[in-house]
Amino acid sequence: MLSNGQLAGEEMKKSPSFSLFLSRKKLYALVGLLFIFILFVWPILRLIWLSFVQEGTLTLGHYREVLQEQATWTTVGNTIVIVLGSTALSLGLGVTLAWMMAYMNIRGKRWMQLLIFLPFIIPSYITTLAWIQLFSHNGPVAGLLNWLPGSLAVPNLYSMGGIIFILGLSHYPLVYLFTVDVFRKIPRELVEAAKTSGATKGQVLRRIVLPMALPGIASGGLLAFLTNLDNFGIPAFLGIPANIRVLSTYIYEQVAGFGPSAFSRAAVLSVMLGIIALAGTFIQWRLLKRSRVTETTARDTEPRIYITGMRRRVIESGVWAFLLITSLVPFICMGALSFVKAYGLPFELENLSLKNYEYVFLTDPKTGTAWWNSISLAFLTTVICLIAGTAIAYVRYTRPGSVTKLMELFITMPYALPGTVFALCMILAWMQPIPGWNPGIYGSVWILFIAYVTRFFILQVRGSYAAFLQVDPSIEEAARVSGAKGWTKWRRILLPLILPGLIGGALLVFLMVLTELTVSSLLWSAGSETIGVVIFNYQQAGYTIYSTAFASIIVCGILIGGLLFTWFNQLWERKVRKEE
Amino acid sequence: MVQPIMGEKGEKRRMISVRDLKKVYDSFTALQSVDLEIEDGEFIAILGPSGCGKTTLLKLMAGFMKPTSGEVIIDDALVASPRQLTPPEERNIGMVFQSFALWPHMTVREHVMFPLLHHRFTAKDLKKNMRERVETVLELVGLKQLAGRYPAELSGGQKQRVALARAVAALPRLLLMDEPLSALDVELRMEMRREIQRIHRKTQSTIVYVTHDQSEALAMADRIVVMNEGRIEQVGTPEAVYTKPETEFVAAFVGKCQLMKGTWEEGVFIPEKLPLERWKDHGVSVKLKKKGFYPVRPEQWRLAPGGERGEGGIVTLVQYQGKEIHYTIQVENEEWEVHDSVYSPRFYVGDEVSLSLRSFAETREAALV
Repeated sequence: MLSNGQLAGEEMKKSPSFSLFLSRKKLYALVGLLFIFILFVWPILRLIWLSFVQEGTLTLGHYREVLQEQATWTTVGNTIVIVLGSTALSLGLGVTLAWMMAYMNIRGKRWMQLLIFLPFIIPSYITTLAWIQLFSHNGPVAGLLNWLPGSLAVPNLYSMGGIIFILGLSHYPLVYLFTVDVFRKIPRELVEAAKTSGATKGQVLRRIVLPMALPGIASGGLLAFLTNLDNFGIPAFLGIPANIRVLSTYIYEQVAGFGPSAFSRAAVLSVMLGIIALAGTFIQWRLLKRSRVTETTARDTEPRIYITGMRRRVIESGVWAFLLITSLVPFICMGALSFVKAYGLPFELENLSLKNYEYVFLTDPKTGTAWWNSISLAFLTTVICLIAGTAIAYVRYTRPGSVTKLMELFITMPYALPGTVFALCMILAWMQPIPGWNPGIYGSVWILFIAYVTRFFILQVRGSYAAFLQVDPSIEEAARVSGAKGWTKWRRILLPLILPGLIGGALLVFLMVLTELTVSSLLWSAGSETIGVVIFNYQQAGYTIYSTAFASIIVCGILIGGLLFTWFNQLWERKVRKEE
Repeated sequence: MVQPIMGEKGEKRRMISVRDLKKVYDSFTALQSVDLEIEDGEFIAILGPSGCGKTTLLKLMAGFMKPTSGEVIIDDALVASPRQLTPPEERNIGMVFQSFALWPHMTVREHVMFPLLHHRFTAKDLKKNMRERVETVLELVGLKQLAGRYPAELSGGQKQRVALARAVAALPRLLLMDEPLSALDVELRMEMRREIQRIHRKTQSTIVYVTHDQSEALAMADRIVVMNEGRIEQVGTPEAVYTKPETEFVAAFVGKCQLMKGTWEEGVFIPEKLPLERWKDHGVSVKLKKKGFYPVRPEQWRLAPGGERGEGGIVTLVQYQGKEIHYTIQVENEEWEVHDSVYSPRFYVGDEVSLSLRSFAETREAALV
């Protein structure tokens, strides 16, 4: 045994040469950061690089070529109109609903909240499919309009207006989610102070409530903007048949078209998409720069505006009608139509059968493969993200600082990129991970696995990090002082407290991978089809009723999963955390 | 230099030595060169305003972090230095946190059981008779009836009792307390003070108690360590710290003294403002004498109607406290605090008064009233 003094001497002798360059702790941090950089950021840099290179020399040739085409500018114009229109719709719906849910004494808020979240957990291409059924030529809307006097035509969803409408409806929950708590956190006293100073209701809303809610509204609006820009499913289902292109579908067509310079052209378009996304972020930053955020106060869920009698009933039924029509009716309609024997037949008892389900599950071998692929990919991705993501979240929690913040920024980038752009990055990075060496990852199911982990990793990191933040550092310190170390500390104290948060994050990753379409549509190959790809291909080939049958099963699965998670969470809170 | 412990007999063994301890966070120096010796079984209070480094000192004693320089020695073993650290789970300690730090998913009984199960220093006989020990500890803090409850079902005072019970369950040699009463209301605080003193007497463990409340420190501690800006200002018994402050900071923070300027001549103080007065030395520290100060506590002033001998002033505020009255007196540009008995003649806002120093005997008498 060496005494302390000797040990200290040993260290002293070693340390100068070592600390000349780096201490060991800093070395670990640097290696970890480099590893994350190569996995998450390097592919993006390779994409940007590709847009500037032709036959080994730096050039602006690709840009010149793409920018001179009329099609490019039509696409950019479409993209801007569609994204701004749908973001405005999302903002209007989201902020109004959030304001009503936060302040009004309407009944049944829990159930309303569930219906608001429904479009959020169901993939947008399935939502589109459902709306297409609702507005089809022999669907319920057509029937209703026929019955009404006058000759009203069914609105055509395969149009700019249709795309804006479905995008706006699909993404208003994001705005709602960001604003409802901001509204609740505005101290009631501030509004009362304005009222006692003589402000009218309108003035209170304009001068106090909305300016204070601006950070939430701006963040929700930006997220809706980016999600609308990034969305592939809705413009692919509605726009491609109508020859309306936006950047995300245009990039997809370039890559899928496999022209001589397909990847370079797609890279140029991706950079343009990135510039539009940055412009949106810049606007949000400008908005937030002027607003001053007060210290967050406690959430106040008590209603502040009391309405009674007739007015209350009218408002409540209005909200219910809106939520049911937008969140439930299309799916019921899609479910019903999936039982119709052939597309175009009226919905009558003699035309109903399970034939479509039989085809989808028993006859077509591709669907079986797709189920197996999507479920095993989702499972594997979730396990990897759960373990590695929680470990990274723990590092971020115990060592807050610039290094871990940078690490989080790196991990966020693949998720922040539009899906088509990200898929292109993955192709470029993994086709030849080291230039000249092609291990055959691209073209197998493994490219999908790598892409899913890279893209959705941040969801688990955020979920786990949020769960850790709920645990006060003194809770862990108390365990250590009581003698618990390593595994005991995790098993007895930390895991029981963070488990619901971890499961929530993991479930989100699982759901996202299971129903993913955008990235898969560019990365799949024969034998590695996923659920999203199969539904997309049915739709593209005109087999609408097969896609509705498939999609109906997915929606049921998601609903059952969601209910199970809610039930588990409540049980956990009651049995384990014993919260009141 | 260790002062003798009040009310204790016989030789005491040294338990903790803190030597030249320093802690720097990024650019902020939380602790600069602290030396401290703590005896076995002693109740030490570390007193100071927020940001004075007292919590940093406690965390270093617990082992949550390494010092920037210096060392901590507990029971003759080096436990913390810039190169070496014995983590808290390998130290024979218990700790009570300001925020209670209870585990929401465990019952009161499980909290008390936890250190008994996992602490590597838990004595064999305690481990063998774990159930009995849990019952004994629960009885000690008066929680026997609530053993099956979860933290969410307890009141603030009950939560703090659980935190105390958990800290003492495995009979640690050293008990660390980080402002344990600051989250409680006044009534409960008084009750918990007695509780903590009783536990100290029963368990005989060494206690290091961090607080910013001087009355807590004065009431419970054997010795008080007064800290300010990362430095120790004074170490001494409660009475010594209160009546014989060594520095200006201690005089103002603990005794709420008015520091009178003047000159010391042959052991007598001549106040600048009252050149005819001669104030006797009741043990003013060398440091204060050198600077020409004489500390006067609020209860050492005698108030008389204006025009009498002494410093003149005007009453600006009167606060009735029940057993005494707190006057705020404007003397030229300063505001002085004076505490007077309710049995003395009363003064009201706007009255002209004159202040003079009570004799030592008088102050004792006043304290007895």
